[in-house]
Amino acid sequence: MKKEDTVKLISAEGFEFVISKEAAMVSQTIRNMLTSPGGFAETEHGEVTFPEISTTILEKICQYFYWSLQYSRGKETDFHIEPELTLELMMAANYLHT
Amino acid sequence: MGGACSRKRDQVDNEDGLHGGVCGRYQKSCSSKWLMTSFSRPPLDIQRGEGKCPSLMELCAYKICEDIDRYSTFSMLPRDISQQIFNELVYSRYLTEVSLEAFRDCALQDLCLGQYPGVNDKWMDVIASQGSSLLSVDLSGSDVTDSGLIHLKDCSNLQSLDFNFCIQISDGGLEHLRGLSNLTSLSFRRNNAITAQGMKAFAGLINLVKLDLERCTRIHGGLVNLKGLMKLESLNIKWCNCITDSDMKPLSGLTNLKSLQISCSKVTDSGIAYLKGLQKLTLLNLEGCPVTAACLDSLSALGSLFYLNLNRCQLSDDGCEKFSKIGSLKVLNLGFNEITDECLVHLKGLTNLESLNLDSCGIGDEGLVNLTGLCNLKCLELSDTQVGSSGLRHLSGLTNLESINLSFTGISDGSLRKLAGLSSLKSLNLDARQITDTGLAALTSLTGLTHLDLFGARITDSGAAYLRNFKNLRSLEICGGGLTDAGVKHIKDLSSLKLLNLSQNCNLTDKTLELISGLTGLVSLNVSNSRITSAGLRHLKPLKNLRSLTLESCKVTANDIKRLQSRDLPNLVSFRPE
Repeated sequence: MKKEDTVKLISAEGFEFVISKEAAMVSQTIRNMLTSPGGFAETEHGEVTFPEISTTILEKICQYFYWSLQYSRGKETDFHIEPELTLELMMAANYLHT
Repeated sequence: MGGACSRKRDQVDNEDGLHGGVCGRYQKSCSSKWLMTSFSRPPLDIQRGEGKCPSLMELCAYKICEDIDRYSTFSMLPRDISQQIFNELVYSRYLTEVSLEAFRDCALQDLCLGQYPGVNDKWMDVIASQGSSLLSVDLSGSDVTDSGLIHLKDCSNLQSLDFNFCIQISDGGLEHLRGLSNLTSLSFRRNNAITAQGMKAFAGLINLVKLDLERCTRIHGGLVNLKGLMKLESLNIKWCNCITDSDMKPLSGLTNLKSLQISCSKVTDSGIAYLKGLQKLTLLNLEGCPVTAACLDSLSALGSLFYLNLNRCQLSDDGCEKFSKIGSLKVLNLGFNEITDECLVHLKGLTNLESLNLDSCGIGDEGLVNLTGLCNLKCLELSDTQVGSSGLRHLSGLTNLESINLSFTGISDGSLRKLAGLSSLKSLNLDARQITDTGLAALTSLTGLTHLDLFGARITDSGAAYLRNFKNLRSLEICGGGLTDAGVKHIKDLSSLKLLNLSQNCNLTDKTLELISGLTGLVSLNVSNSRITSAGLRHLKPLKNLRSLTLESCKVTANDIKRLQSRDLPNLVSFRPE
């Protein structure tokens, strides 16, 4: 995959997740950052930092992005969520509009 | 659905949601109306929208609901998140008095607990703990009592309260609402305890826009407390049979009223005279009131009136000339009045009319000539009138018609070709015994039909062949007795069908069920009084959307259907025999 087709998501602890732009744009918030003209530095560097989102949660979110893509292509599997993550995950999902 | 005899659906006035569209709610033939209203709660998988990817928010909310016992409080969450979890718990019916505790002090805004099982005074403490954040509460159908309402006193920002069917609330409870001056909407439907005394509390609700006291039978004399509520736009006192002319007087100054429903009260022409000054009134429902055409004197002063329901009143032709002065009307219901063709002459100029109901009036073919100029008409109800063969030609030019009900009229096969050019027609009711295959043959051009009612018509297998033209049919009723399995072959490809009634065709066999097993969109099926046996039920297994199944007077027992329900038809909620 070409670099310009990917985006780097960075967690509060500094962990980096490189995922496809298509997946990242499942999040309406990230989509806005990457597509709004001129505004965000994120658009240029293809990097978004989330100081409020822990590594565990950000990993789960990335999994969701890919799951969501598959789902919309007809592969309707279950998405597993560990009970201990739900509240934190929900807050992050709320922020990411996803 | 479906007794042994041809029937008319009881036409109840249905003004709620009127503004969503005039047509559709005012047609008896629209069988799918029943589908929407009979089951208050749609099955989960339909509501969730198959194929649409759930958001991560939704997935988390589902997960939390499944394990709700793990959570003791959500008060640390942002409000919009706890609100979403709350809504999901209500929707999934996982919310209990115990799990409600987790929502104490969550600053929730909306608590929609209408018809929720088990709600009582014990819930009120947590409900009220939302404090000034709380904007709307629906406790309809709950066991909440007067003392439960004390808690709401401090929720000073409340805008909307619903206590429909809360039969334990009385005057004493209303007293606790007195200070909630931010209320814009208040509803107490079907309450027999509220009286004029308790309604004194309403006087302080100066921001009230909408008040609903439908079926409150003891409120006579209480409306005087509404006098100062100048923001009131909508008042519903339908079925309050204690309401008389004197109750109209306090309404005369409520000049912002847009919607007034006083059907089935004792209000007469002199009571209506108090309404003359309500210049913003757009909707007036007088169904079942003892008013005559003399009330039109007062109503012709209302320049904005677009909906007028005078069904089941005491109108005669006398005085009907004043209809011509209410040119703003879009919906006019005159059903079940002693009016004749003479009255229709005065409707000629009402060119804004989109819906006209003349059900069971004394009108005939001659009168319909007066409708030829009503080219905006979408919905026409002529059921149970003397309209016959020669009248339909007057309707040929009404090309905007979407719905016509000609059930129990004298129309003949030969006259139906006059309807063949009405290409906007979606709903057609021809429930009349003299209609046969020949009549249906004349209508094959009406390919936009979604609802076709041929309940009592004598349609046979050869006539059924014409049904192939109606690919968009969502509901179909053919119950005239002349259909056999061979005719059902022409129905089996109508894949849009949701409602199918083939009862009273006593020669239908299990083969029919086999033929329709591909109609997987079916929500309601009736094949009563036929030769269906329990052996045929297996063909219904693919009909996963089926919610209602009626097989009365067949060789099928309730247990046979229950077995099918438990194994294959999870959505089946209503069946006969039961």
